[in-house]
Amino acid sequence: MNPPGSLGVLEEKEEEDLSTPILGPSIYSDNPQERIQARRLRIAARLEARRREALGEYLDGKKESEEDQSKSSKQKEESRLKLAKLLLCGTELVTNIQVATDIREIHRRVEEEEIKRQRLEKLENEVKTSQDKFDEITAKWEEGRQKRIPQDLWDVLSTQQVHCAALIEDKNKLISELQQELKTKDDQYVKDLKKQSDDICLLLERMEEQVKNVMKTFRQELSYIEKAFEIERQELLTSNKKKWERALQAHNAKELEYLMNRIKKVEDYEKQLNKQRIWDWEEYNMIKIKLEQDVQILEQQLQQMKATYQLNQEKLEYNFQVLKKRDEESTVIKSQQKRKINRLHDTLNNLRSKYAKQIKQFQEENQSLTSDYKRLVMQFKELQKAMRHFALIDEKQFREIWLMNEEEAKELISRAFDVDRIIHTHHLGLPWTVPDFWFLRNVGPISQQQQKSATQILEEVLMQTEEEETEEAASEAESYLDLPKQISAKTTRKILMLLCDESGFLIESKLLSLLLPLEKNECYLLKLDAIFSALGIESEDDLYKLVNFFLRYRVYHSPSSQEQTSLMSALEPGEKRDLEEQKEESLGEGEAEEKEHPPSPMLIHPNDVLKILEAFVMGLKKPRDSRAPVKLKHVRDDSKDSEYWEALTTVISDTTQNLWDALYTALEKYHLILTQRATLLIENNSLEQQNTELQMLLQQYLDSKINSELQVPPTQVFRVPTT
Amino acid sequence: MQETLVTPTLSVLSRSSITMQDRSSTAGQASSTGPQPSRPSVIPPPSKSKGWKSGANVRRMRRIIAEDPEWSLAIVPLLTELCIQHIVENFQNNPILKQLLPEHQQKVLNHLSPDLPLTVTANLIDDENYWRRCCMQRWPVCHVARHGGSWKRLFFERHLENLIKHFIPSTTDPAVILDLLPFCRNYVRRLRVDQFLPPVQLPLQPWNGELSDSGSEAEMEQPTGDHYQLRDLVAGLSHLEELDLVYGVKDCGMNFEWNLFLFTYQDCHSLAATIKACHTLKTFRLTRSKVDDDKARILIRSLLDHPALEELDLSHNLIGDRGARAAAKLLSHSHLRVLTLANNQVRAPGAQSLAHALAHNTNLISLNLRLNCIEDEGGQALAHALQTNKCLTTLHLGGNELSEPTATLLSQVLTVNTTLTSINLSCNHIGLDGGKQLLEGMSDNKTLLEFDLRLSDVAQESEYLIGQALCANREAARQRALNPSHFMSPITAKGPENPVG
Repeated sequence: MNPPGSLGVLEEKEEEDLSTPILGPSIYSDNPQERIQARRLRIAARLEARRREALGEYLDGKKESEEDQSKSSKQKEESRLKLAKLLLCGTELVTNIQVATDIREIHRRVEEEEIKRQRLEKLENEVKTSQDKFDEITAKWEEGRQKRIPQDLWDVLSTQQVHCAALIEDKNKLISELQQELKTKDDQYVKDLKKQSDDICLLLERMEEQVKNVMKTFRQELSYIEKAFEIERQELLTSNKKKWERALQAHNAKELEYLMNRIKKVEDYEKQLNKQRIWDWEEYNMIKIKLEQDVQILEQQLQQMKATYQLNQEKLEYNFQVLKKRDEESTVIKSQQKRKINRLHDTLNNLRSKYAKQIKQFQEENQSLTSDYKRLVMQFKELQKAMRHFALIDEKQFREIWLMNEEEAKELISRAFDVDRIIHTHHLGLPWTVPDFWFLRNVGPISQQQQKSATQILEEVLMQTEEEETEEAASEAESYLDLPKQISAKTTRKILMLLCDESGFLIESKLLSLLLPLEKNECYLLKLDAIFSALGIESEDDLYKLVNFFLRYRVYHSPSSQEQTSLMSALEPGEKRDLEEQKEESLGEGEAEEKEHPPSPMLIHPNDVLKILEAFVMGLKKPRDSRAPVKLKHVRDDSKDSEYWEALTTVISDTTQNLWDALYTALEKYHLILTQRATLLIENNSLEQQNTELQMLLQQYLDSKINSELQVPPTQVFRVPTT
Repeated sequence: MQETLVTPTLSVLSRSSITMQDRSSTAGQASSTGPQPSRPSVIPPPSKSKGWKSGANVRRMRRIIAEDPEWSLAIVPLLTELCIQHIVENFQNNPILKQLLPEHQQKVLNHLSPDLPLTVTANLIDDENYWRRCCMQRWPVCHVARHGGSWKRLFFERHLENLIKHFIPSTTDPAVILDLLPFCRNYVRRLRVDQFLPPVQLPLQPWNGELSDSGSEAEMEQPTGDHYQLRDLVAGLSHLEELDLVYGVKDCGMNFEWNLFLFTYQDCHSLAATIKACHTLKTFRLTRSKVDDDKARILIRSLLDHPALEELDLSHNLIGDRGARAAAKLLSHSHLRVLTLANNQVRAPGAQSLAHALAHNTNLISLNLRLNCIEDEGGQALAHALQTNKCLTTLHLGGNELSEPTATLLSQVLTVNTTLTSINLSCNHIGLDGGKQLLEGMSDNKTLLEFDLRLSDVAQESEYLIGQALCANREAARQRALNPSHFMSPITAKGPENPVG
């Protein structure tokens, strides 16, 4: 042990004894401390081992398991533990110094405290004793002051002085003691400093040693580990080598086996090959011969093909030339065509533009034409209107002309008849009868049952009935209305009256108000007109159909109600139908006559009128549709006209004409004579007249005054002759 | 000359001008590059050849070779190298670095002198090699690892520390330090000043007052004993994380005077304000500075609710129970992780207050109360606190006059606590029974890795067995660290011991 021996060394030693249980390999190191440590460690380890054995066997198992681990890892673990322990011990060794100084310091402090306390105590005691002494001295001063005798005073003063000196002595002693202590402290300080430096030296030494040790052991352990690795590697190498060799041997054996097998197989294959070769050789020869033949044939074919090829080539060349030329031509044509296409394109464009223009033009034209057309249609309509108008006018004119001509003709005929009659009666002295011809009775243009409008008929009917009142009997048959046989005008009229009264709703209210002031008949007429227009009845036929319908209805439906209605009508003169009643009353005479006819409108109950009308209208509608256009044109049939007119010309028969001719000639002759006579008569008359005139003139001359005035009156000249 | 033969058409005037140029350029070269004698003869060809036809080159070359046998094309340095050299020479006046290509930058940096003024280099050069050279030139021993592995940081930190160490208040110009601030503010993270020189009057008076005793002298010097005020400097250092101060004089030797080691109230107040203003500070150490209770309280009050502080070291001072109480208050008002109050005068009441704070603290990892005098009362209080504490890992109670009662309580703690990894009870009077009890406690503990019981009157056997248990725990911890997924049996650790024996 080299440390500067003092307080801490012992403890340090103890520490080391306790704290250095390892460092196995360093038993032979130069450091004695280390050696001791090592020995102690050995003992401790043995103890430990024993303890462990006592503890149980499980550690062995552990060891075994560790042995299983590789040597290297084991070595590593060992080294690690060893080194860790080494480090721990080293640090402990180094820190031991610190700990030692610490404890020294503590001890010092304790001692210091103790000394301090003692010192303080001592000082306090000192203070107390000195204070006492001081008090004593101060007390003595009082005593001294009372002394009058100088001897006493001197004594007292001297004793005081001695006391003071003693006090000061004490104090000085204390001071010197303290100074002594201080000095020892200083010495202590120097010692402590020295010791501290020694400690530091030791610390450094230990640290260095530690470093050295650690480095050494680390190196050692490293070498151990390396060795362990090396050994392990060697072992591994050897074992692997063995394995490798074994494997190689096995491999070689197998290889040999394979080789033998292979040789055998090769021999087999060789045999087979030889066989095959021979067989192949033969086959080859055969095939060769065959192929050679084939080759010859093919060569021939080839020659042929060559020939054909040449031929074809020439042909193709020729064709090629031709095609080339054609191609050229075609290019020319193509260009031409292209040009043409261009041109055509141009024209197409032109045409398009033209077309567009024309479209525009035509559209315009179309518009103008449509407007024209519209205008023309309008014109046409107007024309039609005019035509209709003219047709009417023409008809009228025609009729008028016809009538005129007829009149003329009839006049002529009547003249002719007159002339004939005169001739017959006067000249011939024969009785003359008026020839009766059908056409003479004809008035107006010839027509077949001219259609008349319903209103006309109505008018006629109404007028007729009115007339009938006056000329009852005659008119009955005369009516040239071609009414159906059963229906008399009267019934018709009654039906119409009934209709008019019943269906007043069809008439506009305005019209009714307008009708009030009018005459009864006119009123009826207008009402019926309105009703017919509402019902759609336009023509004569429709009207007759209506009347027929009414009658038939009555026949079918009311044989029983007939009496009732008749009774009703008879019993009730009717407030509502007083007009009708009145009419009937007014027509009272005709009624009796009408009653003879089974169909009597009176028998139709006014209530049924509407039903009948409804049914009629429903029935009427169907035929109406088809009838409409037919009605438009009525071409007048003029076939009979010429006949008529021919007939008119032949009123005077040929015999009479012959007669007339003869008469004419005779009369001419007679006329001639008469004319001669007339002329002569006229001559005679004129002459007579001339004569008279002359006479008159002469007379005049003679009577004039001038004559008198004159010297020679002419009268005298003349009187001579006259007289 | 051959020139005239080759090109007689050239006028004499032009030739003379060329030669003039040559001379001037060679002169310039000679003046700038002294140590290279071959230069002047080398330079001419490129500058001269410009004026000549290409056909003349061959002959000219031949001529030069004939004149200068040493010359060869290989010797001619590249223009870039010349430029770099020039840049290096004039770096102080015209620092060009960032504009260069990376490779050229490297070359320049390799050739720069480490004596360049910091005003030029500080913010311009980041290259570690350059700063390494600077450091190696100034200091023989450099621990880069202690400075975050950065040579630049090391340089600035040590440079600054050096300046502060040799700063004498009211004689040295404070601008000396503050001028450096703009250059070092981004690099200095730690400041370790183990010496603050007192004002200049002091060296005079000790000579006079050498005879008189130290106490009176200290009283006399107190009003003028203020040291350098760190406030401005620390305020300027934006990245400062660690402050390690010792208010004392180093190597005073036999010139020792008490007033060399004075930490005045003025100093204390200014330091308190300084550390309060420094929000980046993580570690604060103030050791061996005679900090008593009042000063400690002043300092700790300024540290309350500090946003970043993690470590506080006030060891080797004169802190008593009141200071310890203040430290206890700080524990609950900061994120302190390490608290060191070693070698102070903390007694049982201080330890009790610390224990009270520790009971519910969740930040503190390490507590060091070495060389105090907390005695059994304090030790028991701390042991009680450790029963509830779930954070502390390191506890140092060496040299605290502890004895058996604390040991019994601690053994209970050992069975319960699972966070403690290191306990130091050295230099106490634990006694044999206490050692046995601790051994009992250790037998149930699986987390403790270090347990120092040296010189504490514990029986050797129990200490040895405790050591075994610690070994087992260490091995288990190692296994846990190696494969945290499944816990290996701790017995494997003991296996290798057998073959050794």
